[in-house]
Amino acid sequence: MTHIQTSTSGPVLDKDLAAVERSGPGRKTRPAPRPRGHRENLTGYLFMSPWIAGFLFLIAGPMVFSLYLAFTDYNLFDSPKWVGLKNFTDMFADPRWRQSVKVTGWYVVIGTPIKLAAALAVAMLLAQKRWGQSFYRAAFYAPSLIGASVSAAIVWRALFSDDAVVDRGQQLFGIDAGGWIGDPNMIIYALVGLTVWQFGAPMVIFLAGLKQVPRELYEAANVDGASAWRKFWSITLPMISPVLFFNVLLETIHSFQIFGSAYIVSNGSCGPADATLVYTCYLYDQGFANSRMGFASAMAWLLLVAVGLVTAVLFWSQKRWVHYEEGGR
Amino acid sequence: MSRNQGMDRRQMLKLAGFSAAGLGLTAAGCGSGGGSNGPVTIRHAWWGADDRAKKVQECVKLFEKKHPKIKVKTDFQQYPDFWKKFNTQAAGGNPPDVIQNAVTFLRKYEAKNVLLDLNPQAKKGNLQLEGFRAGLEKFAEIDGKLLGVPVGSNSMSLVIDEKVFEKAGVDHSLGWTWDDWYAGLRKIKSGQGIAGDSGPHGVMYLYDLVLRQNGKAFFTEEGMGFGENELLPYWTEALARVKAGIYADQKKVEQIKPASALAKGLSAGEFTWDNFSVRYSAEGKSSYSLAPIPTTDGKKTGQYLGSLMLSGTARTKHPAEVATFISFMTHDPAVARIMGYDRGVPATTAQFEAFQPTDAPSKAIGAYETEIAKAGVLEPITPHPAGADVVEAAFLRIAGDMSLGKASPEDSVKQFFSEAKTALASN
Repeated sequence: MTHIQTSTSGPVLDKDLAAVERSGPGRKTRPAPRPRGHRENLTGYLFMSPWIAGFLFLIAGPMVFSLYLAFTDYNLFDSPKWVGLKNFTDMFADPRWRQSVKVTGWYVVIGTPIKLAAALAVAMLLAQKRWGQSFYRAAFYAPSLIGASVSAAIVWRALFSDDAVVDRGQQLFGIDAGGWIGDPNMIIYALVGLTVWQFGAPMVIFLAGLKQVPRELYEAANVDGASAWRKFWSITLPMISPVLFFNVLLETIHSFQIFGSAYIVSNGSCGPADATLVYTCYLYDQGFANSRMGFASAMAWLLLVAVGLVTAVLFWSQKRWVHYEEGGR
Repeated sequence: MSRNQGMDRRQMLKLAGFSAAGLGLTAAGCGSGGGSNGPVTIRHAWWGADDRAKKVQECVKLFEKKHPKIKVKTDFQQYPDFWKKFNTQAAGGNPPDVIQNAVTFLRKYEAKNVLLDLNPQAKKGNLQLEGFRAGLEKFAEIDGKLLGVPVGSNSMSLVIDEKVFEKAGVDHSLGWTWDDWYAGLRKIKSGQGIAGDSGPHGVMYLYDLVLRQNGKAFFTEEGMGFGENELLPYWTEALARVKAGIYADQKKVEQIKPASALAKGLSAGEFTWDNFSVRYSAEGKSSYSLAPIPTTDGKKTGQYLGSLMLSGTARTKHPAEVATFISFMTHDPAVARIMGYDRGVPATTAQFEAFQPTDAPSKAIGAYETEIAKAGVLEPITPHPAGADVVEAAFLRIAGDMSLGKASPEDSVKQFFSEAKTALASN
């Protein structure tokens, strides 16, 4: 089971927007379900059958198998040998595994907030009506369409190498630090930069949320003489908090799954000195280069559990900061 | 979707019926392709850079012209990616029919029954085993099974930037010692201001030579041929040289990958396979030549002939065609004229004589191979244990991390042996 998700923008968006509608302000009540005939149900399932078959054979089946593999020693060729919890104890004793957890955690903690802040800031600029706004929206959304691609990561590698744009730029300011790609302490920030640059998807969602904030709230605040900051803090933020919550959730989960950019920016080494050894990169390396599929499966399941826990904590924290409107304002 | 709303259930079912019929037709169309008299298609995959790919594809065209009933589909990647892909394909039961192979992988894939025994094909006359130089046809024979046929022979060598060495006044000749080499490196650093070596301490094949000069080897048939006591001083000294700037700055080396540090002017020398020196001349601006491997005792270099080979895979449906293709690639003189010394000095006399090098790097390779063969320094090589490829990658990575200052030599050595143990046990 290797959930290596490299493209996010397109198909996810529809779902995102649907979810925004569900969780956003102005939630509508559904019409009461009417009784349906048996035949109609059957037709429904028939139409769903490609998806159901795909889910069973391509997702559920392999997942169950990988859960089994997580407790075995499996080199892809010989049949799996049951080893109990050995893969997990090996993992905790493995300094490279700990490194991969550290790198991924750092990436999630640094990258996600900056990306969301950038997305919100740009969304607020674009929410104002002005000439050419659809052009700007498209322009700011574009990086997240191409950002997940291999070519953007290759360009990124070129930008941050010795004597390339970034290095020259910092030399202008008298910083002679060299390129970031070869520097174990800096390369992770190049990756963070790459993900921040792809703020388009959360931006569109923020934009949708901002449009839903009732104008009369701002008008009332203006009458009271509130500052721009005050309006942002007391009106905008609470009003879009369901959207913000959704974006935090999605981007956090997505950050945990980083693979493509780390792999390509480091030229497939996830280095230097394991500085970009993100969790999935190590998982891939152990599974496919070192033929330790059992170990890799165990890693994958632990990631699933970890992401599940983080999601649960986020949902639990909702009570404290997400404002849903119940029964009108 | 207003159009769909207008469509009733009967219309929908009709549509579904048509699509199903369409699928059936397509399936029938596919079925007729696999006739017994049509051309047979085999897949060939290798690792290497673009220039090798161009050459191999030219050879393949020639082969298809001479054998119109066999089609060859090609695929290539860089070395690490190639093996990841092959490993996955082989595990899934769908490996390419013919692959480029090396000694490191023979036992690993023999243990998993992935490789085709070519002996039966040789007996049937589909694969010609006569005419190989210096017994090279036995190179990939393990337990009576012929698991590959060498396309060329190569040896570990020292590639140097001739201009820098000349300016620094550093001489090199067969039988020079490591002390001479390090003195030369210091001279290059102080005189020319650049590192003399790209950093050799992660190169498994070089450390193998150092160990062989001392009567050991990197691998035995079962496992590791050395211990922490040997590696610790080797890496401790190496780290001191990195810090002194005698070995190239690893930070810079990382960024120019996959290009080589020597070709990009980050260093004046690099230990690598002699056939790679063709690549340096294409990549770099200076002129490059081959120098002898330094020795411990003034005589023994520890060198042996390595070899790239072609192997068939056991699950192929067309073993005869596979053998025909391998035979063509190893014997046909035209192939030698296309490939040159790209995969080493050709393994068969027919091909060896067909290619007369005219460019300086190829001439140097030919002369180098002749020189070390005459000097009688060549040793036999034993096929590496399964998992050796993973150990090799760990050796390179951990040495690089140490150079970047991320771990002490002590920790690096411990980490290497721990990873090596896992790799040899789990493959």
